[in-house]
Amino acid sequence: MEDHFIENLAWAALLLPLLAAVAITLGARRAAARLSIGAVTLSFLATLGLFLYLKLSGQTSLAQNSLPWLTIGHFGTPHYLQLSLGVQLDTLSLMMMLVVTGVGLLIHIYSQGYLAGDEGYSRFFACLSLFTFSMLGIVLADNFVMLFIFWELVGVSSYLLIGFWYNKASAADACKKAFLTNRIGDFGFLLGILLVWSTLGAIDFASLKLEINHGGHFAPVATMAGLLIFCGAVGKSAQFPLHVWLPDAMEGPTPVSALIHAATMVAAGVYMLCRVYFLLAAEGSHALEVIAWIGGGTSLLAALIAVQQNDIKRILAYSTLSQLGYMVMAVGTHGPTAAMYHLTTHAFFKALLFLGAGAVIYALHHEQDIWKMGGLRKQLPVTYWTFLVGTLALCGVVPFSGFYSKDSILAQTLKDGSYGLFTIGVVVAALTTFYMARLALVVFGGAARSAAAQHPHEAPPVMLWPLRILAVPSVIGGWIFIEATFAHFFAGAHGAVGHAAEAGGWGEQLLEPFNASPAAAFAGLFAIIVGGALAGGLYWNAATDPLPRRLGFLSRAMANRFYFDELYERVLIPCTHELLAKIAAFLDRWIIGGLAVRGSAGATEFAGRALRLVQSGSLQTYAFLLVGGVAVVIYFLLAR
Amino acid sequence: MNYSLISMEIAVVLLGLGLLLADLWLAPPAKVRLGYVAAVGLALIFGWSFTFSGTPSALAFSDMYVLDPLALYFKRFSLLAAIVVLIMSVGFAERIAAGISEFYALILFALAGMMFAASANDLAMLFVAMELITVTFYVLTSFQRARLASLEGGVKYLIIGALSSAFLVYGIALIFGTTGQLNFDQIAAVASKYEDNKIFLLGVFFVLVGLCFKIAAFPAHIWTPDVYQGSPVPAAAFLAVGSKAAGFALLLRVLFTAVPGITNGWNHLLIALAIVTILYGNLCAIPQRNLKRILGYSSIANAGYLLLGVAALNNAGRAAILYYLGGYLFAVLAAFLVILIVMNDAEGEDISVLAGLNQRSPLLAAVLTCALVSLAGIPPLAGFFGKFLLIRAVLDEAANNPACYWLVAVACFGVVVSIYYYFGVIRAIYWSKDPPVLSPIPVPRVLGAALVFCLLGMLYLGLFPNHLVETTQDAVKFWAGR
Repeated sequence: MEDHFIENLAWAALLLPLLAAVAITLGARRAAARLSIGAVTLSFLATLGLFLYLKLSGQTSLAQNSLPWLTIGHFGTPHYLQLSLGVQLDTLSLMMMLVVTGVGLLIHIYSQGYLAGDEGYSRFFACLSLFTFSMLGIVLADNFVMLFIFWELVGVSSYLLIGFWYNKASAADACKKAFLTNRIGDFGFLLGILLVWSTLGAIDFASLKLEINHGGHFAPVATMAGLLIFCGAVGKSAQFPLHVWLPDAMEGPTPVSALIHAATMVAAGVYMLCRVYFLLAAEGSHALEVIAWIGGGTSLLAALIAVQQNDIKRILAYSTLSQLGYMVMAVGTHGPTAAMYHLTTHAFFKALLFLGAGAVIYALHHEQDIWKMGGLRKQLPVTYWTFLVGTLALCGVVPFSGFYSKDSILAQTLKDGSYGLFTIGVVVAALTTFYMARLALVVFGGAARSAAAQHPHEAPPVMLWPLRILAVPSVIGGWIFIEATFAHFFAGAHGAVGHAAEAGGWGEQLLEPFNASPAAAFAGLFAIIVGGALAGGLYWNAATDPLPRRLGFLSRAMANRFYFDELYERVLIPCTHELLAKIAAFLDRWIIGGLAVRGSAGATEFAGRALRLVQSGSLQTYAFLLVGGVAVVIYFLLAR
Repeated sequence: MNYSLISMEIAVVLLGLGLLLADLWLAPPAKVRLGYVAAVGLALIFGWSFTFSGTPSALAFSDMYVLDPLALYFKRFSLLAAIVVLIMSVGFAERIAAGISEFYALILFALAGMMFAASANDLAMLFVAMELITVTFYVLTSFQRARLASLEGGVKYLIIGALSSAFLVYGIALIFGTTGQLNFDQIAAVASKYEDNKIFLLGVFFVLVGLCFKIAAFPAHIWTPDVYQGSPVPAAAFLAVGSKAAGFALLLRVLFTAVPGITNGWNHLLIALAIVTILYGNLCAIPQRNLKRILGYSSIANAGYLLLGVAALNNAGRAAILYYLGGYLFAVLAAFLVILIVMNDAEGEDISVLAGLNQRSPLLAAVLTCALVSLAGIPPLAGFFGKFLLIRAVLDEAANNPACYWLVAVACFGVVVSIYYYFGVIRAIYWSKDPPVLSPIPVPRVLGAALVFCLLGMLYLGLFPNHLVETTQDAVKFWAGR
């Protein structure tokens, strides 16, 4: 009875946003915001209830049974296939759901202010609800097929939201780019799923784990399968070399950037890697090493690019890329705990930073160039203070949440013995501090650099309250046992433990990094001091950016994103895409279009029109045809 | 004699007679609302039907009537269809000049015929049930006496119907003449002796022709688009769903209970009938612009797909027919509901009327789109899973009869063609240039509820097929041993 209730609660949390999306689309346009916010609130409450129930029960996962969705063939025969829809209720999924619905709720509320008066207001909330539904589906999925379906749905809702202002050419291009880039990753992901399915004969995570623990025939394909599945994460979490879509995705409304392209959706790749960590870490697999280096490489690359960007949202976008790289690196160094820990804290402070950036943009009438801002500290006090909190958390200053999660990752690399990655991690930490300090100093410090910046107007309360609320977990995220919760789960589930021991009280939590891995903690702090000092020296009251002069070509390369977009556009796409397109166009025009389509369509249409002559409407003809038809059949049946 | 077996039919007939009596005393506005009374009554009977289990199967009227899970499935199916059709009729009432209570009563009498047909176990019962359905439909199709198209449709239905009934009754006479039996079980007992008797085979074939008329399959399919176009919308909907299902109930019983040996020998004939029906229905629909005619041709094509389940000659195929009909019910009723609301007599039924529907009423646009997508057989809606089950059943048989591959190929070709004309309609809904009218379409609350009901039905059967699949497999289980 109780189990049923629990499961229904989970289904309700999943389906309510979908209901809201359907209702808004089918006509409840006026109540759009209320429906959408109501649905996500209820989802949040349901998740909270589930989470508390799980905590009190002392387990790491709740009993679950999935609904058989589709059964083909009979059990035991080679063609047997059963697909089911099930919800996975464990610490991992529920923590993630709390993040999705909790941060999501605040961003829904914020959007009311940010999009007030936009003509697509109801469409926006319908899409946002659709996104919440899809994202919760990914989190709850207990098998690969369901995960993949929702994975694609998330892609669709992201596409719809990036292209929300579809009249803007740049937005239309950006959503196309995001969708196509993701599709490349998803193709690999699908191949990976099929490979796992065909080798192990199962698709739900529980049976897969059993199969792998039995060992044996998975080892030869383990690396391949792990890397193919990782392709999905490369696309969705925008890792090198598919990272190019995320900065462009900033064309969407800022709340969307905060929710989807910073806090939740892009983290789905990391979540998925943690969910199937047992697969990646299977015996005989070398996938994790590749994953770690791709993550590390992405984080360094993105951090370098972020140093020379001038658009407030793009800086944050590259910072997101860099932090995602961090998380992926953590997974690769056998630290899903650290990855999920950083994912959670990052969701808080990055959402906060984006919403803060949104408030700045709103205040300056959609000005996004940081060199046209300046001196906003006095005029926008709430935005300033909350943004500062977010910045300090992202840089990893003690005792903000970012310090603890970042330290957890650095410690993990050390523990794993990957000194190369550890060095990258420290350099990235310094760079992060540098570009964030640059951002904060230029936007809020100094003097106003444009007319708009002289008379900004603070955003309405409906936008400021989410900032204030998000600032709280951004500060305290490091001392509220998030890491211990994840560590407990992964220890029980996978045998891989983060360094967090069973923690005592808050005080111990505060000092825990210095006790557990002092080298990582002091290296992190040293990086912050170096990055902060450099940025302070260069940008305190600076009117223009001094870096291009000092760095020359390097600066230009950073500002131009190391020419990746150009490389793809000029070299990769012509070599592959264009060539393929030419061959395909030839086949399409002459073979398929000419012969197959026009030929068969013409023949079909002709047959249709000829047969229509039969259908003349004349009753005598009909009766004649009936009897004639019967006679013909009788001839074939009996007379021969 | 156990009268409780036919209590559901008795209740339906009494409800119909009650409506006719109530008509004498009620004021005209109240008469319109009698449709709701009838719908509620049928809903109660529908609920009551779950007190019957049908196992073990029970016989009545000197074995003319059988109550088994198959009969119950078709009875519930017809009841469900009739409930929606009655709700449609209330929405249609203002377009019927006089006699709306008779319209309701006739629907109920046709329903009684369908319910008897579901239980027929004897050629006499088959004939009576079929005539009860057909004769009431003669009246229903021509009910809008002032409208020429309605009269024309009625007359066509009458003449072609009479012709097919002639085949049917002649076939029955030939069977009785050769074997001396009318009961299906008794025919089955002696049929093996007559498998080479051409008179007997001719009789069976003539019965098949009579049934082909009901299900709108070759060679007696040609009336369908004309009659759908002319009939009042509720009558056309009931004809498309209820009458077709009753035809299949009878067809299954005759072919697989009465003459299973001959049916197995006629595997190529059944495949040919299915192929011709699918091709005719789909090809003729291509140049069509009238939505009711498109649904008419689609009805022929769907009869062809359903014949796949017959040609499969196995229980999987028979179960698939029942499943497919379930999905078909919701899709077709949903489409006719939208036609009822959007298209009135003045504007006509050309698909250009649908221009801008998604702006005028997103609900109607969504429901019609889902209905057509389901009919085209695209996941995740019910139609996809039905087609999947049918084709899989045929492929199971392909090991014994390679001609089945041709049938599957034609079925797939038919699906491709059908997507073309269904999407022509969907394109008209969403991508028409400069729609002439953009005023919102009000959807009456009860009709809106019926629309949502159909939509949920399509989605439920498409997403969670297991429950109905099990029910249908139980319903055809009794054939497994034969």
